Amino acid sequence: MKHKNKELKLIFAVMLVFFLAFLAVPVIRLLIKSFILDGSTGFTLANYQSVFTSKGFLGALGNSFLISSVSAVITTIIAFILAYTIHYTNVPKWFKNLIGKATVIPMLLPTITYGFAIIYSFGKQGLLTKLFGRQLFNIYGFNGLLLGYIIYTLPVSFMLINNTMGYIDKKFMVVSRLMGDSSFQNFRITILRPLLGTLASSFIQTFFLCFTDFGIPASVGGKFEVVASVLYTQMLGSVPNFGNGAVVALVMLIPSVVSITVLHVLEKYNVRYNKISAIELEKSPVRDAVFGVLSGALLISVLSIFAVIFVVPFVQDWPYRINFTLEHVQAVFEDGNLLRVYANSLMVAAITALIGSLMAYAGALITARSTVNQKLKNIIESIALITNTIPGMVIGLAYLFSFSGTSLQNTFAIIIICNTIHFFSTPYLMMKNSLSKMNASWETTAMLMGDNWLKTIIRVVTPNALSTLIEVFSYYFVNSMVTVSAVIFIAGTRTMVITTKIKELQYYNKFNEVFVLSLLILFTNILCKYIFQKLADRSQRKEKTKR
Amino acid sequence: MKKMKKVNLKKVAAFMMAATLGVSTLSIAGCGSSAAEDEQVIIYSNADDEAIEAMKHALDANGYEGQYVIQTFGTSELGGKLLAEGTNIEADMVTMSTFYVDSAQEQNNMFLDLDFEVNTLDEFPSYAAPITAQEGTIIVNTEMMEENNLPMPTSLKDLADPVYEGYISVTDVSSSSTAWLLIQGLISEYGEEGAKEVLTDIYKNAGDHIEESGSGPLKKVRAGEVAIGFGLRQQAVADKAEGLPIDYVDPLEGNFTLTESVAVIDKGDETNAKAMEMAQCIIENGREELQSYYPVALYEGESTDTENLSGNPKVFSEPLTVELLKEHQALSEECK
Repeated sequence: MKHKNKELKLIFAVMLVFFLAFLAVPVIRLLIKSFILDGSTGFTLANYQSVFTSKGFLGALGNSFLISSVSAVITTIIAFILAYTIHYTNVPKWFKNLIGKATVIPMLLPTITYGFAIIYSFGKQGLLTKLFGRQLFNIYGFNGLLLGYIIYTLPVSFMLINNTMGYIDKKFMVVSRLMGDSSFQNFRITILRPLLGTLASSFIQTFFLCFTDFGIPASVGGKFEVVASVLYTQMLGSVPNFGNGAVVALVMLIPSVVSITVLHVLEKYNVRYNKISAIELEKSPVRDAVFGVLSGALLISVLSIFAVIFVVPFVQDWPYRINFTLEHVQAVFEDGNLLRVYANSLMVAAITALIGSLMAYAGALITARSTVNQKLKNIIESIALITNTIPGMVIGLAYLFSFSGTSLQNTFAIIIICNTIHFFSTPYLMMKNSLSKMNASWETTAMLMGDNWLKTIIRVVTPNALSTLIEVFSYYFVNSMVTVSAVIFIAGTRTMVITTKIKELQYYNKFNEVFVLSLLILFTNILCKYIFQKLADRSQRKEKTKR
Repeated sequence: MKKMKKVNLKKVAAFMMAATLGVSTLSIAGCGSSAAEDEQVIIYSNADDEAIEAMKHALDANGYEGQYVIQTFGTSELGGKLLAEGTNIEADMVTMSTFYVDSAQEQNNMFLDLDFEVNTLDEFPSYAAPITAQEGTIIVNTEMMEENNLPMPTSLKDLADPVYEGYISVTDVSSSSTAWLLIQGLISEYGEEGAKEVLTDIYKNAGDHIEESGSGPLKKVRAGEVAIGFGLRQQAVADKAEGLPIDYVDPLEGNFTLTESVAVIDKGDETNAKAMEMAQCIIENGREELQSYYPVALYEGESTDTENLSGNPKVFSEPLTVELLKEHQALSEECK
């Protein structure tokens, strides 16, 4: 046992140092600013006073909790329905494939596009408004935010739930029926219960994604104030007040403490399986039809919003001059800078994906498949959840304060590190959820057979977790391609990436070009996902032929 | 079944990792930038496209081609960078809203005094020289106005008329200083109490359309979401010239201005000497082209072209300081 723990402890130490240096230190330095007035040096609570007594802060906080919770619940339910359709119904295989791929499409686009997409689809001159003849609902305020948040978080929620569902042993459904359970009890015991941890993770992840996002409220928030907008105004408003901003950031971190406790409590509902048996699902055309139609409808609703993104770049000026033109596409590609910036994005995304996947894997191995001290596991758990609750802008500014003037400033390395940390949460949870479903005795068996720990991991655990690893790699890659809120601060003139270029175009109100670039990112992401999937399939096949 | 090439997964993975590690260390080292690149003056700017082009033309025509790189940012992000990074910022020179330059200087003491003569019509600090004057104006979407039978507004006070409810978009002054132009106009004409009355009604009419970014209202007017917005005059002029159904109405209260200035960062021994030269070049050689887009005269010897002249350019009676903005922000918050 001691032998095994040494390797794990080494990995843990490396991870800890990395997170201390690049997460804890910068963020704490930023949060300390909450106790200091901008421009002076004394310790003071003036910032706290100023923020809490400011008109509308508590209201905004309450609003944020409300909209984030509602979005999280709805998204989790929708994601569950979609995942259930894939794993527990007999709809045609091509349809299942389609669901799996279509649901993650929103993640392949920069979030800037969501707000526009909603306005250009459902706004007064929107594409769908024109198709339906009238405006379907007021897109500003609660409704618009809800729609935007659901679209934004659905891919993440779906990935989490879909991934874990794949590791549940369906054999127990048969057992449960034999023991006389009703349909509902069967559902509750064999599907819901093992998924409780994942459903909670999904709720928490989506909650924080909504809670910390300000791009969507900036577009369709209307009068519905949210705390993320308050943060933006304090940090980057006309009179930046980093002290107040730090207070708001601190307040936004508090819910994460609650979430860590919740996830910890739900650990005990986790079930490990010996192996995943493929069984034939009970035939039920009604069930298939219902879920098939439901999934189809949900997907169409979500994706129809993005239809406009394919239309707008190719017309002269939406909505007033709707003649086909390629001038915007030409304008974008004429920019000599574009190729260099695109290559930068690809490289940063690839390296981030590699390092990030390794870290998520390492972290999950420690928490889900080792016997190290529970306290150490809790540290990793907490790190993972905290990374999700810190808005990208806060990380970007924290890095600015901490690393400006050091040799890391304006390098690619700092962007890669920032992305790795910023997106750590979901990949870690995905890896943990799958590793914790696998048979716990593999390591022991292998050790008894004489293999060392590393060999076991490579030979036994990894092949079983390969599909998740590919998903994680792909998640990091795609998100690095589309992320902007942290990168805009730490990218230097020579390390600009494609999303900072999009931001530039946004300032000039060149939205047609913004959409062209978004489409470019979309197609790149689709292509890369396809390549990763092919690689995964090949290695799976190779494993099978080996056996 | 097709015969597959046997690829040893482990070897491929190991190779990929080695390759990426190699690439990453190279990129971290900076890919061996050429000496010429290191000498380039890096300019950060929040200026609009046209202004950037004008500055580039001025620099290129005076022998500086290839010796500089301009990187554009939004006002908020550049402001954040200036305040957070201070003299560690990558840029050697910035062009930025004068107001922010002042804030950054106050907090970080990061700019050099300009070493060339600057004969501005108004007073400017020793470390900044204005390049453009941004005017605010009322922007309308002509098609929306027609569609909804809205009367054309002629003044800022008109925007408070309930007939425009739901059709207006303005910016929140706590997020963007563009909105300050609106408030300056109201206070200058109606005093603080009168301004509060009008502003309260304007916010009521704007409803959901109080934007965070300065260009937000124009974006909504363009998209046909609202009929009327308040924003930067030059952007509206450019849109109209492009043939969009956009028009602008210079309000009776006047077009108030905020200037953008050039400033050189004080990096001690590492200050790039060319930065100051280029700053001088932009001021001395770029103003002509800049004035074709931003007509207001800023320097002695310049005249405001009467053709391009806006209806009523005005300057606020008090100096535009951070304290004044905070006061006006507080006033604006009371009106919401």
